[in-house]
Amino acid sequence: MGKYVLKRIGYIVLVFLIISLLMYALYNLIPSDPARAQLEGVRQTLRPDEYETMYRQLRAQLGLDDPLIVRYLRWMGLWTDVDGTFNGLLQGNLGYSQFFKKDAVDVIVEPMKNTIFINIFSTILSLGITIPVGIYCAVRKGKKFDQSMQVVTILGYSIPIYIISLIFMFFFCVLWRIFPIMGSRTAGITYANDWEAFVDKLYHITLPVIVMTFASLGGMTRYVRSAMIEALSMDYIRTARAKGLREKVVIYSHAWRNALLPVVTSIFGWFLSIFSGSVIIENTFALNGMGRLYWQGLNNQDFELVLAIQMFYTVVSLVGNLLIDVSYGLVDPRVRVDK
Amino acid sequence: MKKLLAMLLALAMLFSVALAEEAATSEKGVVIYGSTTEITGDFAPGAWWSNGATDMMLRDLTNDYATVVTNQGGELVVNPTVTKSLETTENEDGTKTYTIQINEGLVYNNGDAITAKDFVWHQVLLSSPLITDLAITSSAYLNYVGGQAFYDGEATALSGVRLIDDYTFSLTIAADKLPYFYDLNYAAVYAFDIEYWLGEGYDVADDGEGCYITGGEFTAAAIQEHLNNARFYAGPDRVSAGPYNLVEFDQAALQATLEINPNYAGNFEGQKPSIEKIVVVRAEDATWADAMKTGAFNFYDTITDGTQINTAMDIMEDEAVAAQLGYGFDYVTFDRPGYGKIQFQCDFGPTQFVAVRQAVAMLLDRNEFANTFCQGWGSVVNGPYGTGLWQYMDSEEWLNENLNAYAYDAAGAVQLLVDDGWVYNADGSDYTEGVRYKKVTAEEAGTYAHNVTLEDGTILMPLIIEWSSSENNSVSDLLNVMLVQNPDVAAAGMEIRQNIMTFDEMLNFIYRDATQGEKYGVPTYGMYNLATNWTPIYDVAYNFTDDPEMVAAGWNTNYLFDETIDQLTMDMVYGVESDDVDTYLSIWQQYVQRWNELLPEIPLYSNVYVTMYPDWLEGYTQDSFWDFQQAILYCTVAE
Repeated sequence: MGKYVLKRIGYIVLVFLIISLLMYALYNLIPSDPARAQLEGVRQTLRPDEYETMYRQLRAQLGLDDPLIVRYLRWMGLWTDVDGTFNGLLQGNLGYSQFFKKDAVDVIVEPMKNTIFINIFSTILSLGITIPVGIYCAVRKGKKFDQSMQVVTILGYSIPIYIISLIFMFFFCVLWRIFPIMGSRTAGITYANDWEAFVDKLYHITLPVIVMTFASLGGMTRYVRSAMIEALSMDYIRTARAKGLREKVVIYSHAWRNALLPVVTSIFGWFLSIFSGSVIIENTFALNGMGRLYWQGLNNQDFELVLAIQMFYTVVSLVGNLLIDVSYGLVDPRVRVDK
Repeated sequence: MKKLLAMLLALAMLFSVALAEEAATSEKGVVIYGSTTEITGDFAPGAWWSNGATDMMLRDLTNDYATVVTNQGGELVVNPTVTKSLETTENEDGTKTYTIQINEGLVYNNGDAITAKDFVWHQVLLSSPLITDLAITSSAYLNYVGGQAFYDGEATALSGVRLIDDYTFSLTIAADKLPYFYDLNYAAVYAFDIEYWLGEGYDVADDGEGCYITGGEFTAAAIQEHLNNARFYAGPDRVSAGPYNLVEFDQAALQATLEINPNYAGNFEGQKPSIEKIVVVRAEDATWADAMKTGAFNFYDTITDGTQINTAMDIMEDEAVAAQLGYGFDYVTFDRPGYGKIQFQCDFGPTQFVAVRQAVAMLLDRNEFANTFCQGWGSVVNGPYGTGLWQYMDSEEWLNENLNAYAYDAAGAVQLLVDDGWVYNADGSDYTEGVRYKKVTAEEAGTYAHNVTLEDGTILMPLIIEWSSSENNSVSDLLNVMLVQNPDVAAAGMEIRQNIMTFDEMLNFIYRDATQGEKYGVPTYGMYNLATNWTPIYDVAYNFTDDPEMVAAGWNTNYLFDETIDQLTMDMVYGVESDDVDTYLSIWQQYVQRWNELLPEIPLYSNVYVTMYPDWLEGYTQDSFWDFQQAILYCTVAE
């Protein structure tokens, strides 16, 4: 197992380097000029020669005149910065946000907290609903409940999430006024204590969580259902029933444990996705999360920020895949990962 | 277990609904400002680092003790609340000294006295070599006598900035910056607390050679951390001098809360605010209307889109909304200080010919265009101005009499083209149908891609205009319908080809910025659609320069080389003393008239903006250069 994990970590480092080079090169292909953008605000106050001097200085300061490979190595921390020090990704410097005018890591912290807060609720709620419903539908395959759930899940799966958001907003916020329409805090409120702040935040994220949960029901329910149907058709289930075991034991101890293997991949994926925000949900509900930040970074051409976010997700995905592979062995001893 | 957890979570959420229901609507007297631009949390003065619109608004609300400010009409005026006297001395060497005495008794929000030092220390910082390492964008060192030497590290003090006594200081402006019509702006400096921004012990001193920072190590490394903390901090310890205090900024919720500063002495008219609290929250385009209806915010500033304005009007007329909220809405309208436009490049291809540019203008029904695009909330202008500019207001009658409106006239456009020589077919025969051609010289032909050379060496240029438009742009879509697909355009023998690209790529073509790629250095597109806005300082001095280096640096993006217009734009600001408004206005009118004749741009629409606010807010007015941060000081809460 240890050897296998070490080998995979080696692959992770290699893949990370390749992805980082590709991403960096791709963003540098986009025709933009951060120095020009930065000076646009003072352009009118400068004479042309003054502007040109400042522009050249700024390009040199930002290292924009160096070849692509030098800029990449500098960004990675494998080449000296303009001040002669190594100060890149490998030294823990995720870059500098040209839009927020501060270190990318400082920009990411708050949105990341918000995203994790929302996604934890959404993921646990979704799994809590979809797994029992999927099992129930598989056990009662073809019955009215199963058929109606097929229709509901197809609808949930097919309707775009922004449509679901707007429909839910109309009913829950505008018509019935149960939930606030946007943000994660009541405007102008002063909290007496942390509990009040927590309750207010919970109140604000309830509708986004409901929308995210609703939108994710279809896929997982159908996935669990089909895995369970396959497991229930196996000979060992017939044997278990023939032995006179209780139906509950047959379903949960025999069928569900065997159906778990394909499902575990998705479940792990869901838990890993708690770090990634939803561009549509966060923008629609004006939530300051990772999805919104990413979208904003792209729109503002704030590429160091976008690259920092993408590199973080690259690491999360690579480590996540390793964990999924290792977890197979834990769930199913037949799958060996020690070679 | 999971089911139990899910049920518990659902219960917790229901519980939160029950607890928080009372706090869902906004209370009377609190302005909740919905902002569509990001609050970055950078509250540093001016545009030292970032210059987002909402950040700037928050900075203005918390710091407005400036010696010189702009009034309701966008005019620069001395602020008597801060400035006791402002004396101007014209020096023999062509420099100009402003000696400013500030009023005694002014204090920051924490009660600390404001002295002359508070106005000069940051000018020393902004003129110092530290700005590069601190990533501050500043050109202050170029304004002051001795600024360049101080910036280059050749001088230890900034000689153009002097401390005279506790309440008096002077600023001497370099000769090459004068005369300048807006030179009073050089004397506009704010009060900022040196201890809050640089740290304890720091001070500014003047030993007779100019001002310098003392009391601590004056290096980027030494002050950066403190400076950054001061930039991003919001709370009771934030030291500022404006109508409001920034009491909280919730980074997670992107929400800023401001409360009245009781130590504030008033704006330039002595006006103090009476709205106790302002909360700035994030608004989204997709949901702003529902947010207004449900009281998530009650103030929506500068609505620009015609559809959104009509939605706002519907909300204001909806009595059910008012009944549910307990208040209704009012609105103000004001003119945009700018316009949406077609911009030509006038040095190559068909758009180098005035007649072609004028013909394009006459083939587009601009009134219909403005009406359709702005949905009735806009107008058409005929020159480089917006209807909100004082220059326009003072010259309206003259402009109406002297400018060509280029009314829609397909026959007139054809006549212009014929008179200009667009009278050939592609084979050199007399024009019959299709795209028109013109015989051009080799110099006129340039490298234009569509030229045809006949066997006898005659070069024919086709009337094909390559148009660069940015993606996801509703103006481009409407232009495509009303201009490109207009049958009269084809009938006139003209073809306009739309090329869609990202905004940045379009800018690269406009600036002909070969550093971004060789293709950008080649003149390719003769027509672009953009928008432009003016600030109170209307300075286009270098916009029509013919200096090759300046042109290469992207100053003359119209690539219009006309001596008259170049001279007029120079004279307008660099040839007129700041108190000679009549001469300025006369030159401005000549410039506009020449511009209207040469038509380097076609103005398409100048919006009417709408701001929507709760009807309990009385006394709110807004104008092109009179924004929320200024106007809110005059508001009261209706009984």
